[in-house]
Amino acid sequence: MLRRNFMALAGAATILFGSGQALSQDMPAPFDKAADVNIALVRYLSTGDFFQAYLAGVENQAAALGVNLRVLDSRQDAALQADMVDQAIALGVDGIVIQHGLTESMKEAAQRAVDAGIKVVAFDVNVENEAIPQIEQSDYQLGKMALDQAVKDNGNNFTAGYVYVPGIAPLDRRHVAWEETKAANPDITEVAQFGTLDNPIANSVANQARSVLQANPTINVVFAPYDEFAKGVKIAVDEAGLTDDIDIYSADVSTADISAMREPGSAWVATVATNPAVVGEASVRALALMLAGEDPGASVVVPPTLITQAFLNEQDIKNMDDLGAKMPQFQHADVAMADWMPLPPR
Amino acid sequence: MPAHALEVRGLLKSFGRNSVLKGIDLTLDYGSVTVLMGANGAGKSTLVKVVCGHHSADGGELHLAGKPFSPLNAADAIAKGVVTVHQSIDDGVIPDLDVANNLMLDRLAEPGSGFFVREGKLRREAQRVADSMGIEVDLKARVADLAVADRQMIAIARAMARKPEVLILDEPTSSLSATEANRLFALIDRLRDAGVAILYISHRMSDIRRIADRILCMRDGLISGAFEDKPLDYEAAVTAMLGHSMLEVDFTVQRASVAVIELQDLQLTVEAQAINLAAHDGEVVAVIGLLGSGKSRLAEVIYGINNAVSGQMRIDGKQYKPVSVQHAVQQGVFMSPKDRATNAVIPDFDIANNMTLPFLSAFSNGSFLNGKRLRRRARDMNQQLGVVCQSETDAIGTLSGGNQQKVMIARWLMEPCRVLLLDEPFQGVDIGARRDIGKHIRASANGRATLVFMSEIDEAIEIADRIVVMAEGSINGEYLNENIELGSLISDISGSETALSGQAQ
Amino acid sequence: MNDRLLDFSIKYGFLILLFGLIIFFSLTTNGFASARSAAFVLQSVALTGILALGVTCTLVVDGFDLSIGAVATSALMLSAYSMVILEHSALVAVLLCLSMGALVGLINGLLIVRFRVPDLLATLGMMFLLIGLQRIPTQGNSIATGMSLGNGVVAEGTFSKAFLWIGRHRFDLVIERLLPMPVVIFLLIAVFIWLFLGFTRHGRMMYAIGSNERAAGLVGVQVNNYKIAAYMISGVTASIGGILLAARLGRGDIASGNNLLLDSVAAALIGFAVLGAARPNAFGTAIGALFVGILLQGMTMMNAPYYTQDFVKGAVLVSALVFTFYLSSRRTGAGR
Repeated sequence: MLRRNFMALAGAATILFGSGQALSQDMPAPFDKAADVNIALVRYLSTGDFFQAYLAGVENQAAALGVNLRVLDSRQDAALQADMVDQAIALGVDGIVIQHGLTESMKEAAQRAVDAGIKVVAFDVNVENEAIPQIEQSDYQLGKMALDQAVKDNGNNFTAGYVYVPGIAPLDRRHVAWEETKAANPDITEVAQFGTLDNPIANSVANQARSVLQANPTINVVFAPYDEFAKGVKIAVDEAGLTDDIDIYSADVSTADISAMREPGSAWVATVATNPAVVGEASVRALALMLAGEDPGASVVVPPTLITQAFLNEQDIKNMDDLGAKMPQFQHADVAMADWMPLPPR
Repeated sequence: MPAHALEVRGLLKSFGRNSVLKGIDLTLDYGSVTVLMGANGAGKSTLVKVVCGHHSADGGELHLAGKPFSPLNAADAIAKGVVTVHQSIDDGVIPDLDVANNLMLDRLAEPGSGFFVREGKLRREAQRVADSMGIEVDLKARVADLAVADRQMIAIARAMARKPEVLILDEPTSSLSATEANRLFALIDRLRDAGVAILYISHRMSDIRRIADRILCMRDGLISGAFEDKPLDYEAAVTAMLGHSMLEVDFTVQRASVAVIELQDLQLTVEAQAINLAAHDGEVVAVIGLLGSGKSRLAEVIYGINNAVSGQMRIDGKQYKPVSVQHAVQQGVFMSPKDRATNAVIPDFDIANNMTLPFLSAFSNGSFLNGKRLRRRARDMNQQLGVVCQSETDAIGTLSGGNQQKVMIARWLMEPCRVLLLDEPFQGVDIGARRDIGKHIRASANGRATLVFMSEIDEAIEIADRIVVMAEGSINGEYLNENIELGSLISDISGSETALSGQAQ
Repeated sequence: MNDRLLDFSIKYGFLILLFGLIIFFSLTTNGFASARSAAFVLQSVALTGILALGVTCTLVVDGFDLSIGAVATSALMLSAYSMVILEHSALVAVLLCLSMGALVGLINGLLIVRFRVPDLLATLGMMFLLIGLQRIPTQGNSIATGMSLGNGVVAEGTFSKAFLWIGRHRFDLVIERLLPMPVVIFLLIAVFIWLFLGFTRHGRMMYAIGSNERAAGLVGVQVNNYKIAAYMISGVTASIGGILLAARLGRGDIASGNNLLLDSVAAALIGFAVLGAARPNAFGTAIGALFVGILLQGMTMMNAPYYTQDFVKGAVLVSALVFTFYLSSRRTGAGR
């Protein structure tokens, strides 16, 4: 019991009640002495629901394994993030999860970690290193599934507004799906492209979207492949009184998004999302596999899920917990698994 | 060597519709001090600013040492040998640097002076310059912490270090004590002997008598008189400047009546002796003393800015203990501070708003200002004091020093008060404006006690019923302004020092 | 340059440019010239405009408030926290936000006046403090109805109708449902600050403090109180901005508000150039905000990408500053 108390003190209170908790001695080395295993999460982006949920997933899976987790947050400072990897190396951690960042700044830092004998996985950043598996939430798939739904709902002949800010990796990958869809359906007309990351994003996008809707009254579909964009567009649509004329397709989901989608007559009809918490869990599991000497594969892709307004209404889903309960594929992704791997409690 | 160091021909300059220089002709000769006199608004400062490169001329020519001279900017003028010490002291010094760095500033700015500052060498050089000027301040002191006089000396000392061809001094003694002024004059003598052409702008007759080789008078943008024949005809010069002859002091001295403000055993500093002084209804009392004599401190204590060590004050027999400026003003104690640019003028405001600032509630209905009433009142005051301007909505910066000071004085004459304190009201003010202000202060003196703090004896004699002399924080002597024995007055001011200006008139 | 032309261009240059822009966009863009479009522009500038009016008050006393963006987003979070988690009414939420703004302003003022911290540093510190503080109660999560509070409890409160009304109601004016509530509030605040700064003795004294603090103190103006008041005005207007933002978004989004800060400071600085005032003024600030709003609206309608908009914003600001500091200083150089 001593050990379990210790782990509780280490900040993983949930495991005391955990049902999925495997006993340490059932796990392969080094997890037979899990409390001695230290891993680090080195973050580039941290502000926002998505990143908060991702962190929760990482924390939960780490707690389920019983390892010590250290979170290093560079807050969008690329150079600092690289320094933090070195800091983690100096701390003598066993494994590192790199969450986002820039290829240029992280490539060498990641190599140094690998050289130091540390196992590394990278989420949503390509560090160009064969020893480092990529954890991906497949942004391309996110975009693709949302657009497929748009075509299914509206046919292949509609007038679209598109919200996009180039240069942001996940948005760029979602953009590929949009280009493909446009090429495959020549009757889809894109009359306006806009977007901004001015903070608060939803408010700034709302201002833009209203101008766009004013200038282009023919728009009947808006593809906004980032939930902050979708929120902004929805505000503009509501303010312009065009709720019945426009459908919004987006990516990502949060509790707030669910309530926005479920507002009566909401124009936000569908979103496609990967549960960021699940991605966080998969990141840690992939790292754990490597530490145990197993191979998670060069890339671990967490598949996205389509969430429609109709489904939310039918199942009366109010928040992310409800969504997880009613949509098991959203709650858990069967990737980077092993028999011995303990899962976070549900 | 060319005949003239600086030659100005037909110089024109106007700002908007306001034509300031209307064709100035003047020459400056090597080894000679030319004094330029002019009432406020005559265009002296503008002339200086054109010559030293701050403004470009609209017409006319300048020749320096026989060669055409059109400075692009101030730095260019200095490089070509025209160095100017301005009336506004802050133009000349960097408050955040210490004395040594300020003295050596030009050196530091010179190209090729090296990347790193050589501290030791800099300090030795600075010491040498300071010694040659007789400056006795700590070279490590921050200039911002120094008295105005010291700052001015530093600005001048730095200009001297340049070894200029033409040196322009714009009212350099306006904030210097007699000793400091004497040191400056000695230096001017030396530079004159070395062949520098000096243009000296001042209204102080004592200065002018001491150093002038020739006098030029300016009025309304033109040279109105030139006096070169020895002995110089000072009366004629003043007449040429003012357009009329200088008035003799002419008023009946007010005898003590009811005491308005009484100071009892007021001790300004721990070492100073206690002050006992009363000022009476309708009386104008001049408190004179050198810089650092404690007269400004006394004004500040009465105005609630500073506290006395001990003692009491009474106004109309009632205890008076100001805790703040606002509190003092509420009880009818007004003060026009010295150093008007730092302490009084609101540069962004026009004349009317500058004037009415302390009494805005008198011009408002509830919180809202009544602009019409405010401007009408300002217009009245402008007329009473003879402020030279186009209208009361002129920006304060467009006025000459004397007119600005009139506005600052008018500010406190707007409402009746019990005690009016005027700290150095004639600082940087020409004779014409000085007479206007003095006359108005005396004319309006009934109903209050007026205390005027100043360092010039002649100014005090011009305005006061009674003269109180301060030295080292204490009162050293008291004179009714009737047949004052100047010798005694001067020795009260300072046993060893001679106040030159007192003997001037 | 001809003096009269210089005077004229300093005074009316910006307004002429503004009308030029409106005409240009009306001719080139479909749907720009309409009452609805005008209402859109006003709505998009309402928020930054309100913040800019507050920062104008601090600029008037020669101060600066960098914390306004953070105050606005803190008010956004606070109103959401108050209604969604604590289940307060709209009135309580609004009052909480306003008092939070006033308190932040008071602290800023005290830091600057009492503790002699330079204004930029004090408000910068406050900005960071607030950005952090607003995330602490929810561990960095946004607030929305239905969010899980841990221990299986779910937030039941909602943004009340009355609160959303503040941000979303639209008054009938010529066209039905034309004029949004935030615009009305913006205009009211603009008129209030305009009257306050320009036509009351308090405003006059604040300008005096900004121009020569010592001189103002020596005529008996209570310099410290006025400075604190300026920061409190700024804090309250920023919190009003935050309330409107919350009512529009209908949720408590975490955000630093840095863009709000920058946009409103830009509006206030552009305001210096309007009518050749060369100093902070409420009318100029409102016009400055409008100028940026019209520009962005027109460019968005023309499908210009977002980075060109930043570029244009910067260009407008720089030219406004040149107007203010170079041309106007040449004019006031007269007679010195």
